[in-house]
Amino acid sequence: MTALSGTEAGATRLFARATRQKRFLRYLRRHPSVAIGGGLLLAIALGAILAPLLWTIDPTQLSPARRTRMPSEQFWFGTDMLGRDVYSRVVYGARVSLVVGFSVAVLASVAGLAIGVLAGFVRKLDGVIMRAIDGMMSIPPILLAIALMALTRGSVGNVILAITLAEIPRVARLVRGVVLSLREQPYVEAAVACGAGVPRILVRHILPNTVAPMMVQATYICASAMIVEAILSFIGAGIPPATPSWGNIMAEGRALWQVRPHIVLFPAIFLSITVLAVNLLGDGLRDSLDPRIAKRL
Amino acid sequence: MLSFMIRRIVATIPVMGFVALFVFSLLYIAPGDPAAVVAGDQASPAEVERIRQSLGLDRPYLVRFGEWAGRVAQGDLGASIFTARPVTQLIAQRIEPTLSLMVLTLIVAVFVAVPMGVLAAWKAGSLVDKAAMGFAVLGFSVPVFVIGYLLAYVFALKLEWLPVQGYAPLAEGFWPWLRSLLLPALTLGFVYIALIARITRATMLEVLQQDYVRTARSKGLAHRQVFFLHALKNAAVPVITIIGVGIALLIGGAVVTESVFAIPGLGRLTVDAILQRDYPVIQGVVLMFSFVYVLVNLLIDLAYTLVDPRISY
Repeated sequence: MTALSGTEAGATRLFARATRQKRFLRYLRRHPSVAIGGGLLLAIALGAILAPLLWTIDPTQLSPARRTRMPSEQFWFGTDMLGRDVYSRVVYGARVSLVVGFSVAVLASVAGLAIGVLAGFVRKLDGVIMRAIDGMMSIPPILLAIALMALTRGSVGNVILAITLAEIPRVARLVRGVVLSLREQPYVEAAVACGAGVPRILVRHILPNTVAPMMVQATYICASAMIVEAILSFIGAGIPPATPSWGNIMAEGRALWQVRPHIVLFPAIFLSITVLAVNLLGDGLRDSLDPRIAKRL
Repeated sequence: MLSFMIRRIVATIPVMGFVALFVFSLLYIAPGDPAAVVAGDQASPAEVERIRQSLGLDRPYLVRFGEWAGRVAQGDLGASIFTARPVTQLIAQRIEPTLSLMVLTLIVAVFVAVPMGVLAAWKAGSLVDKAAMGFAVLGFSVPVFVIGYLLAYVFALKLEWLPVQGYAPLAEGFWPWLRSLLLPALTLGFVYIALIARITRATMLEVLQQDYVRTARSKGLAHRQVFFLHALKNAAVPVITIIGVGIALLIGGAVVTESVFAIPGLGRLTVDAILQRDYPVIQGVVLMFSFVYVLVNLLIDLAYTLVDPRISY
């Protein structure tokens, strides 16, 4: 009897998993941009993690004898000015882009959430915080990141910090808007009337409702962070050439681009595809999470 | 309306104040001794000391902010650490190419993007609409320097229609000037076109759902008439807003576009200043761009009240 109920429970679990899977597949079918964007991103992430196994050689290995080769069977994407294999550098470069994009998205979301909730809840602080946010938002984000990078040594950590600082105001402003509109909701008023404290209202009623817009915003921030990182590295204010990043590979190919366009071309293609994948994922999430916004954009 | 205008103008004062405080404080957000950071790795202690004094780092923070803000209000942005020339003078020398590039981009983008968005809304759901919105997604995804190299490769290197690089001042004639800026303007305009087209389409679709549009239709007006007279007019305000907000994209993109096309403008000034860690120059450029940005958006807001009498906050 016990054995029977055991298998029964197992069957129920299996059934539950099957329906979950089915639901997930149906979701992907209905929102193809989530499937395409997510799939592409997953493939790129796998490539970045498995970089040493993907027929790459040491991306920093100099070899003056084989400088600026055109793409060939031996060097799929050719070699750069210092004889480094562009294919290996591009594959390893994915790591920097993904790490920067993901870290900035997470850090900016967390910091922006804290500031936005503070501005939305503590009305006395709202005026000051919003003026500061307006002020920061009047500095074009790329310029702000450039100004910050000019003061520090180029490294992955500093690039992440600089871009995060430039992105925080956007999240904070979004969260504040959501919090302000949620405060007026009848169920929040009901919770207040029932005597719920601020922490409980925050955790139970406010935070869960910020998740959907924040997720969408985070994907867009991830995409924009990847572009800004590439721009910083491209103009020489980002990641130093010892760590290959798509931006600095392009920076090094810049002087030769009229005769050896492949050095610029390959990282450019990879960067564009990755950003496109993240944007598609963001558009798909937006359409599926909030039908109201989807209609408008 | 006058009181709204005055309130709107007064409201920008604290914003500009925060911009100034922020730009001034940048030097302190970075870890370590700012003077040593600015001086660089090879500087001798005496040199660090000289920079410390020239930046005034030996005096208290708020005192210095007050003095600095006072000088900025009088139009004095300090002097370059390396060439010792006034920052305002350096900016004035480089402003023509950047201003030309941005104005041309603005014109090209608005003339391409607005019809594109309107057309996409007019034929919503059709192939034209899908193509336009597909282009918009692409515009957000392909970084500005990638577009720059692609356009330069095709139109300058292969087809040889336009110059690869460089800038011809307006003083040398209108056509050389236009030729030298056409590719950079298209490059810079790409993401801007995507943004404006997307918002135009979205706003048009939203306006078309309004009651007065239904009323106009039920009166028996032709679809075309309703679309272009009633809807387009009312879609103007959000579209103009986004054109103003999008100027931030133009400013950031100009720095990169100028690097790709070797245009000696403010972007190049910024990049050179970064490589030399010439901090007063960076501060000056960031401050100037931010003020321009705030000012443009203020003017746009004020213009609404004249165009659309319904707006008064």
